[in-house]
Amino acid sequence: MSSITLTNIRKRFGALEVIKGVDISIADGEFAVFVGPSGCGKSTLLRMIAGLESISDGEFRLDGELMNDVSPDKRGLAMVFQSYALYPHMTVAENIGFSLDLKGVDKAEIKRRVGAVADKLQLGKLLDRKPQALSGGQRQRVAIGRAIIKEPKVILFDEPLSNLDAALRVQMRAELQELHRTTKSTIIYVTHDQVEAMTLADRIVVLSEGQVKQADHPIALYKQPDNLFVGQFIGSPKMNVFQARVEAVDDTSARIVTADGWTVALDSVKGLSAGETVQLGIRPEDLSLAEPSNADITVQAILSERLGMETYVSFQTKGEPAIARIAGDHRIGTGEQVPLKINRNACHLFDSTGRAIRRS
Amino acid sequence: MAERPDTPKTAASRYGLLFVISLYCIMPFVWLLTAAFDPGAGLFLEVPAKVDLSNFFRVFQEEDGLLWLMNSLIVCGGATLLVLVLSGFGGYALSRTHAWWKRPFLYAIILVRVIPPTALIVPLYKVMLTCNLAIAGVVRSVVPPDYVRSVMRFVGFIDGYLGLILLLATMHLPLALWIMKTFFDSVSREYEEAAIMDGATFGQRLRRVLLPLAMPGLAASGLFAFIAAWGDFLFPLTFISSPELKMLPLGIYSAFLRDSQIDYGLLAAIAVIYTAPAIIAFALARRFLVQTFGGGLKG
Amino acid sequence: MSVSFTRREAWRNRFLILPSVLLLAAFVVYPAGFAVYTSLTNEALSGPAAMNPRFVGFANYAKLLTDQNFWRSLAITFWFVLFSAIIGQLVLGLLSAMLLNRRFALRPLVNAIILMPNAVPEVVAALMWASMLAAGEYGTLNNIVAWFGVDPQRWLTSFPLTMIIIVNIWRGIGFAMILMTSGLSSISDELYEAARMDGANTSQIFRRITLPLLVPTIFLYLLVSTVSTIAIFGLVFALTRGGPAGSTELVGIYIYNQSFNSYQLGYGSAVAVVVLVFSLLVGMLYVRALKVDV
Repeated sequence: MSSITLTNIRKRFGALEVIKGVDISIADGEFAVFVGPSGCGKSTLLRMIAGLESISDGEFRLDGELMNDVSPDKRGLAMVFQSYALYPHMTVAENIGFSLDLKGVDKAEIKRRVGAVADKLQLGKLLDRKPQALSGGQRQRVAIGRAIIKEPKVILFDEPLSNLDAALRVQMRAELQELHRTTKSTIIYVTHDQVEAMTLADRIVVLSEGQVKQADHPIALYKQPDNLFVGQFIGSPKMNVFQARVEAVDDTSARIVTADGWTVALDSVKGLSAGETVQLGIRPEDLSLAEPSNADITVQAILSERLGMETYVSFQTKGEPAIARIAGDHRIGTGEQVPLKINRNACHLFDSTGRAIRRS
Repeated sequence: MAERPDTPKTAASRYGLLFVISLYCIMPFVWLLTAAFDPGAGLFLEVPAKVDLSNFFRVFQEEDGLLWLMNSLIVCGGATLLVLVLSGFGGYALSRTHAWWKRPFLYAIILVRVIPPTALIVPLYKVMLTCNLAIAGVVRSVVPPDYVRSVMRFVGFIDGYLGLILLLATMHLPLALWIMKTFFDSVSREYEEAAIMDGATFGQRLRRVLLPLAMPGLAASGLFAFIAAWGDFLFPLTFISSPELKMLPLGIYSAFLRDSQIDYGLLAAIAVIYTAPAIIAFALARRFLVQTFGGGLKG
Repeated sequence: MSVSFTRREAWRNRFLILPSVLLLAAFVVYPAGFAVYTSLTNEALSGPAAMNPRFVGFANYAKLLTDQNFWRSLAITFWFVLFSAIIGQLVLGLLSAMLLNRRFALRPLVNAIILMPNAVPEVVAALMWASMLAAGEYGTLNNIVAWFGVDPQRWLTSFPLTMIIIVNIWRGIGFAMILMTSGLSSISDELYEAARMDGANTSQIFRRITLPLLVPTIFLYLLVSTVSTIAIFGLVFALTRGGPAGSTELVGIYIYNQSFNSYQLGYGSAVAVVVLVFSLLVGMLYVRALKVDV
């Protein structure tokens, strides 16, 4: 069992507070991903868990035990660094076995355990190489080997795929999932890439400006963002937002009019009153091409990007330009009128402060 | 420049100019090398009647060549070693700290580099004299009188190894500190953090992780310190007077100043012995030369 | 790490730098300050002042202003720096760098030959040139000029300043070449190709592309070589000891002779302080030019 609870964690550098009271709990065996734009404090938070940064305030408990002042190596954690930090003067085997060697484990035992780890990660043939002689993916595996040989309670990953090219990243994502499935260890993983977060996580913690914006299963985040920030951060291209006003309400539905004069009737909406200002969030994939006769809205295209299997159409609105992600290949010229249909069930509503208005 | 074939005219002027420059650079060496192997060498360049190693034998048999060489090696080796230790630790601290004194200190060591040693020589002499008296006092109180002289030869500041080693090390410390600071800046902190996570103490991190990582930096700063100390003339000239402490540059200088007939073959042989380590060190240090330029001044 | 750990690390850093600070303070900072103090006294190694040095205020500096020898040594130093470092080494270094900027079989050898003088200790360089410049018809230089029909000369007696300038140029070409090579290699080939597409010829390319882009390297080189050339002592001292009749008495040698041959420590220190201040001013320019980022 290795569960983690962070209670009201804060980090100050002098007068600057970078982590502003974070509460997170991570269950045993969970793959948790901290995600957020750069500067949101996700790496700092990870380093505080690792013990590489001090905790200014709050409590960090691992299996119920207070860890605030325990030194990094005594916490029972392992970390995979962004640069991997493989010691260039040691072979792969020496790198993986370094922590055991420091503990004074005898040579034969180290060799046996390094061998076991290497087999698991398909590093068996590379044990005598130096890190410089390895490919990016192999280095990544050595770094993971160095972490799992300690049989840690929790493995921490700090943006481990950011140095790899796109194709390798996809492959390493699959390997990480496999690793998690076979070791069943608790993992905390930091990334700024929401695709990585979506594909890997059991649970995503979205951070912004040192605060948790929402923590939930990836699909829950996608389907029911708590706030506009999460709505826009998860999903690519990002969610379109239209300033709007509630025109009329009845028991279960509301009619919303956007600044562009588009009228959208949404059902399963409660707690709104007529005249209220709201923000209407529509994901690009929830806008589809329609026949002019049954279109919800008709927009003027600024630019279309043809990807083959789909077409992104940017169009002008009163606010920021918006994007529709249309299935199939379409040739749409600049300035052309495009009739679009809105998937009403997937529309999101936020109040003027950005907090989500739940639809049941 | 992009490689474009030379026209015959350009090629001629290119190789012609290079030939002249090379000649200018190499001519002085011709006499030195010829004279060193010519038992009958004089001041003038001439084709030797006989070529042998007798000049080199005489350096070690008739003169105190071995003593001068040993003294040079002890002093320059000691200074280099000291620079390595101090710049290794100091450069590490400078790279890792964010304290207020970091910037002023870095500015200061650049400024220290530009001070001509001759401008400091007089006050330095007084500092060394004061230190020497203090040390002599201590030595006299703990060592029997007969041995004071031989002990002072090692720990004295004037006419002693210790003072010269400390002085030479200090003079070449700023460049070495700069090299090591820049070097450690390029060594990711993550290596150390990984070692911390692996449970390494500071001592273990130093020995197992930092020292191996720092080797190229230490090689550069050590080589530059050695080259500078080895070539230094002013400090041995000023602070060494007894014959048993004489170093190679002074050996050459005094052999050159001898009133009686100067033995040029012998002189050239000493010079060759003295030059060889400098050239080797320079060849090894060559690849560090440009990177070092940012912070260092030529020595 | 925990708060105590961070604090411990800060103390450890201070402790690690301390020995260096102490040595620099004892052998550089304190002597520099002491030079200023000594320059305000009439301290000497001989004569009545040796026993009982007195504070004389700016008398030494006043004496400097009227001392022909001091002005002469400043002038010698100025010409020496100008012709050897700023002009000779730079021009020949840049020229060598450009000539060697092309692959050919003997390139590594020529490169090594040009660098060799830089690697030789000062005293050995002086010795080699003593032979080169030896007077009489068998002197190497005299032999060389004889081919051009020039009579044998007493080089170090007739043209002492010119000769030490030639010796110092010889010693510094390699260093200038290395820097200029690195400066040249940082100019992208595409710029040259673009210039050629625009119709520039070789000399236009040099004047309009190469030189302007080398300016930062050249500027840095000039600062470095100025201070290091002012500091030259052993090379010239071993060759001429400042003579004949003070005609090669660079300011460093002047300080040494004043202090250790004439035993006028106070006066020698005043000269030293002048040099010190000038070097520090150039050093500050250097610090600014480097834009030291820490």
